[in-house]
Amino acid sequence: MQKLNAKQATELALEVGRILLQSGSATNRVEKMMLKVCAGFGYPNTESFVTPTGIFISLNDTEGDISTSIKRIENRRIDLGKITRVSRLVNCLEEQDCPEGRTNMDARKFREELNQIDVEKTWPTWLLSLCGGATSGFFCLLFGGAWMEFAIAVFIGIVVSYGMKFLSRLSINNFLLNALAAALIVFIAKLLDLYIPYVRLDNIIIGGIMLLVPGLSITNAIRDTMSGDLVSGTARGMEALFITVGVVAGSGSMLKIWALWGF
Amino acid sequence: MRPFDTLTLMQFLWAFLAILGFSIRVNLKGVKIVYTALSGGLCWVFYLIALYYSNSVLFSVFVSIILVCIYSEIVAPRLRTPVSVFVTCAIIPLVPGRGLFQSMQLYIAGNNIEASQSIMQTLLIAGTISIAIAVVSSATNLLHKMLNRF
Repeated sequence: MQKLNAKQATELALEVGRILLQSGSATNRVEKMMLKVCAGFGYPNTESFVTPTGIFISLNDTEGDISTSIKRIENRRIDLGKITRVSRLVNCLEEQDCPEGRTNMDARKFREELNQIDVEKTWPTWLLSLCGGATSGFFCLLFGGAWMEFAIAVFIGIVVSYGMKFLSRLSINNFLLNALAAALIVFIAKLLDLYIPYVRLDNIIIGGIMLLVPGLSITNAIRDTMSGDLVSGTARGMEALFITVGVVAGSGSMLKIWALWGF
Repeated sequence: MRPFDTLTLMQFLWAFLAILGFSIRVNLKGVKIVYTALSGGLCWVFYLIALYYSNSVLFSVFVSIILVCIYSEIVAPRLRTPVSVFVTCAIIPLVPGRGLFQSMQLYIAGNNIEASQSIMQTLLIAGTISIAIAVVSSATNLLHKMLNRF
């Protein structure tokens, strides 16, 4: 294991932290991973402080020089696949002998693999939308829907997945995004209800809403709070609360608008 | 509904397929998808079985989340995956989307008393999920520390 200079080591650690945090990892894990990277490249005395929107890291050289960096994180989107791969890479750095045979990884190779993970393609959009449809449809069945309702819920899931993809390109905030998506779910459900007889709207709309509930934020909030990161725990909790309020506000106002319309 | 009949099996299948879709949506790849989907299905089935025997929603949620978190803690290291990835996918069927929607509907209908009851129930379920996750992750930490000590 070679020793890098402080600037390069900080850069590598920040890159690892950025990818993990942008993919929606718990801050506790980000801190641990960054410390592991710094220790792996010769800086065991490192302090880091991570919040959901930024990273602070400070490397302590043996001669007493300290170099500190800050990174602001934007554009967060859930990507558990990236979290898994980065964690594996960093753990390989620590363990020396891992099953894939990457022993004694040098910095250049580490950076190459990191870049590869960063630019790696996700599943194609049509498959993601189809899976959104499947999730929504099967939740509809799970909560007691019939086959006709299943079909409508699948359709709604696909449309909403495409719609969210389009809306997130406009870079609007999370609250508005979820509110609009929930409103879209209710709107399509009500519209199809006009033409298709004998369906129960509750199951369809709940199936659609299950696409939007903030499961990841809840998990992260709990894990952060339990590991003692009170700041990030509270922040994640607020994030979950705001997404929930957004979903409720969007679907509720659309239901009310439809009722005022008079159908 | 009696547990262990075809209806439970079907419910398991729906939850399994729903979480299968969800785990592809969050960009998991390879054999992990099947294991996360299995955790989602197990979560719902444990909930149904516990609900049949105990008749208490909160207790059933607590038990099923604890069991499924233990499953995640066992399986995730074998697949060299962070445990939180598994837990995130596993709790989705029990996140109270239905309670949320119902309380919203009641609230819009102007039915304030029932709406606040429903919101309270939703919040309690969310809190129970949090407590169950916290219990298992703390217990695992403690266990690892004790194993390292001896």
